Amino acid sequence: MAARLDTAAVKAAYRRYARVYDLLFGAIFQPGRRRVIRSLACRPGERVLEVGVGTGLSLPLYPRHSRVVGIDLSRDMLERARERVRRHRLEQVEALLEMDAERMAFAAGTFDKVVAMYVVSVVPHPERLVAEMCRVCKPGGDIFIVNHFSSSHPLLRASEGMFSRFAGKMGFRPDLPLEPLLEGSGLQLVEAGRTNLFGYWRMLRCRNGCRSELAA
Amino acid sequence: MDTKLLDILVCPVCKGPLVYRKEEQELVCKADRLAYPIRDGIPVMLEEEAREVPLEEEI
Repeated sequence: MAARLDTAAVKAAYRRYARVYDLLFGAIFQPGRRRVIRSLACRPGERVLEVGVGTGLSLPLYPRHSRVVGIDLSRDMLERARERVRRHRLEQVEALLEMDAERMAFAAGTFDKVVAMYVVSVVPHPERLVAEMCRVCKPGGDIFIVNHFSSSHPLLRASEGMFSRFAGKMGFRPDLPLEPLLEGSGLQLVEAGRTNLFGYWRMLRCRNGCRSELAA
Repeated sequence: MDTKLLDILVCPVCKGPLVYRKEEQELVCKADRLAYPIRDGIPVMLEEEAREVPLEEEI
């Protein structure tokens, strides 16, 4: 029941956010989004899932030859995304769906790449989100997570930057530990880069491991 | 809704297959007897938003 309440709270927050989200967060996060989508290196016909697609700020950044599916828990945000798709005639967008990222409605092994930007810290159970991302991604596929993490991993131990002090006030869980999230998920960390904001945000590129093959 | 989506969509509860009912604009899971609405072209794949299909209704 607690999870349901959390989900309702997230929905309510983003209903309030929807109208001003692009204004507040669009400019701040856009360089990070651009960098991540370039790192995806989408090949023609590859199917990509963006978890927490929101108002669709990233959708115009995907190459025309890719096939993008976006999900979000907030109907209000998705309606804005759909409007953006229509306005810019974004043929690469295959579908937008209202979905709980911790309980996705996709068959196992559907996507070549799965991306979650600025999402992991705002879901009630990050480990369930990661498990679902692994399930719907093809074995050996790429999973990209952009988030802030506390970690002793040498790739991430570098300075956190001044931004961390303000993170809690912005509604993020400031110290999401990375290791428990990756342990048991079957994900292999391949790369950990910075996105923007003084290195506060990290982009993790992971390979979807053999665990999902066993589950399939 | 693009019917090609049916190849990748499953019931979020049991991960089983879905049937597209065009007239009703619903995606139905026969096993769970849940009908997920498609509102303004956006499928709503949430259990709490799904309609329970009564036993007397054929699916």
